[in-house]
Amino acid sequence: MTNRRAFLRGASVLMGSAALGQVLTAFAATPRKASTFTDSEMSALRALVDTILPETDSPSASAADTHYFIDLAIPACASPKAQATFRAGLQDFAGFDKLAAAEQVAKLKARAAKDVGLPYDESFFLILKDYTLTGYFLSETGATKALAYERVPGGFQGDLPLKPDQKAWAI
Amino acid sequence: MATSNHFDAIVVGSGMSGGWAAKELCEKGLKTVVLERGRNVRHVIDYTTALKDPWELPHNNRPTNADRAAQPIQSTLYLYAQSTKQFLVDDTKYPYAQANPFNWYRGYQVGGRSLLWARHVFRFSDLDFEANLKEGVGVDWPIRYADISPWYDYVEKFIGASGENPGLPQLPKQILQPPFEMTALEKYVKGSFEKAFTDRRLICSSIAVLSREHNGRGPCQGRNQCARGCPYSAYFSSNGVTLPAAAATGNLTLTPDTVVHSLIYDDKKQRVTGVRAVDVNTLKTTEYFAKVVFLCASSLNSTAILLNTRSARFPNGLGNDSGELGHNLMDHHNGGGATASYSGLLDRYYKGRRSTSMYIPRFRNVTTREEKFKRGYGYEFYSGRGNWTRGVDSADFGADFKNEITRPGEWSVYTEGYGETLPYHDNRVWLSHDKLDRWGLPEINMSMTYRDNEHAMAQQMMDDAVEMFTAAKLENVQGFNHPVTPGSVIHEMGTARMGRDPKTSVLNGHNQVHSVANLFVTDGSFMVSSPTQNPSLTYMAMTARAVDFAVGKMKRGEI
Repeated sequence: MTNRRAFLRGASVLMGSAALGQVLTAFAATPRKASTFTDSEMSALRALVDTILPETDSPSASAADTHYFIDLAIPACASPKAQATFRAGLQDFAGFDKLAAAEQVAKLKARAAKDVGLPYDESFFLILKDYTLTGYFLSETGATKALAYERVPGGFQGDLPLKPDQKAWAI
Repeated sequence: MATSNHFDAIVVGSGMSGGWAAKELCEKGLKTVVLERGRNVRHVIDYTTALKDPWELPHNNRPTNADRAAQPIQSTLYLYAQSTKQFLVDDTKYPYAQANPFNWYRGYQVGGRSLLWARHVFRFSDLDFEANLKEGVGVDWPIRYADISPWYDYVEKFIGASGENPGLPQLPKQILQPPFEMTALEKYVKGSFEKAFTDRRLICSSIAVLSREHNGRGPCQGRNQCARGCPYSAYFSSNGVTLPAAAATGNLTLTPDTVVHSLIYDDKKQRVTGVRAVDVNTLKTTEYFAKVVFLCASSLNSTAILLNTRSARFPNGLGNDSGELGHNLMDHHNGGGATASYSGLLDRYYKGRRSTSMYIPRFRNVTTREEKFKRGYGYEFYSGRGNWTRGVDSADFGADFKNEITRPGEWSVYTEGYGETLPYHDNRVWLSHDKLDRWGLPEINMSMTYRDNEHAMAQQMMDDAVEMFTAAKLENVQGFNHPVTPGSVIHEMGTARMGRDPKTSVLNGHNQVHSVANLFVTDGSFMVSSPTQNPSLTYMAMTARAVDFAVGKMKRGEI
């Protein structure tokens, strides 16, 4: 076991140099400002991600800044066609944040029914959901509070009893 | 010329084969220079993404449009992400011509693709070495299992591999650490196969990942982020294992950022005296000299270096008396397989991320003879319980949806076959000598297609996968048979094949160029056929064997 401890210690040293700086930088950057979308679009987007992933026994999507993830990731990662679909879809949801919760659910449900069969690049709902889930479940909040995450699991155990109410692994 | 450019041995390339050539040559006392076209990647220190959490990577590890524009081919690779893209080339800097579509995945850096490989290490058997002769395909392998068996032992002892010896003649016994554990679903499928079939087995793959500590390395920490580089040295790479061993002798000179243009051939001596290399940054050409040269630049690049070395004696490329240089290009094909789900065993789960597959060893054309195709295939097999990604495609959302997808879902199962491809003379690479890149290297052209034998095999791969999953009473069984773009399995090989006859092959049974006694080629270009087992272990064993042969000849003054 001495060897294994030594290896793990090595890992902490590495993390200290590389990862910690990034975490601190990200922390210092809050509160965040949107880069792509307007303030009113961000308000609608915030309500949309929270309608998809509301607060339950874990924080809501907006508590993990999922709408800010989308603000950066859509222009960087989505295809031009998907970007256009997303921007147009967001227009359709202008003022979404002002609606009552039940109205929000009804409006998004109607859109989901219409969009779910469309090709991805033409489906506002599928793009929104893809980026909402990726943004949330791979955030520190989503991965560690809504799901279970271990950076260094320490090995592989293939066949264990599932514990009551055990969360799924984030990755 | 500077004496600093004189060595006992030159190794071109630092990947799987080059690392082994360097270690063996250095340990035998030869002053050895390794010329690597890419940048230096220092073990652990330069694994800059290795321990990053998803949220510490740009866009939670999603590739951007800019990434895909710079790496249009590399970004189609299954392991491509923000965390791995630094180990794959910028396609716009290294263009090649595709007469037929060919995906060429390349890692130009110290360690090459040994940083990125899928780590499966099975031995070939005489079923493989005898197949060409028995079937009248291509040329006969100049070696048999007995020739390579001690070298498999030698390599396995050093690299450290884990897995399961199934006791099948088509997968000879290996020196292995205990395998990684099966999941509950895999144990169930294994038992189902044992009841339903006599010839089909589910085993843990042989994999160059340590399940136990080995020579101060590992064991695997269950991160399954191998392609970022392993800070625990738990999987085998040149960077982590062979290059440090070579450096420890004091005989290694590692020279990154140096691309080999061609070999220097001495007409009178009928030997190579060295190589011409270009500094990739300054574009300055330097000649390196040595008594022996090992080409380990990866199949297509080693072949290109030979084709680019032309003289009165060898107008069509060095060592190309046979005309076979550049021909007989092979890759595996993996288009056939099946998916399924299983709604039982919901009280079982797992911890950690296993970095290996399960494996269904080849069972076609082993003891029986198929009418529709020659050779066979083994399957990689994966299982897991659903995670949050199962929620991406549905119309559902809200609190119940969130609760559901944050708990483990049903089991899902995926298998794909890895099929042997026959050597076809007109599947080939060649150079456009009038199209030079910024380093003066001619553009490489590829033309490769799969043929009737591979297509018939792929259909059977799908049908067998469906049959096995159905027999195991898995649910929602869906077969698939996708078209495969050659190169996609990243086992490109065969373009400087070995053989018994210099008239029909480039290398002899010791990876020595028939007509140039001090030139050896030990990457995948030497392959005579493409047995279904993943080839890297064989490249390593053949490299160690070739060095032993070469140094023996040098000591006796025969080289």
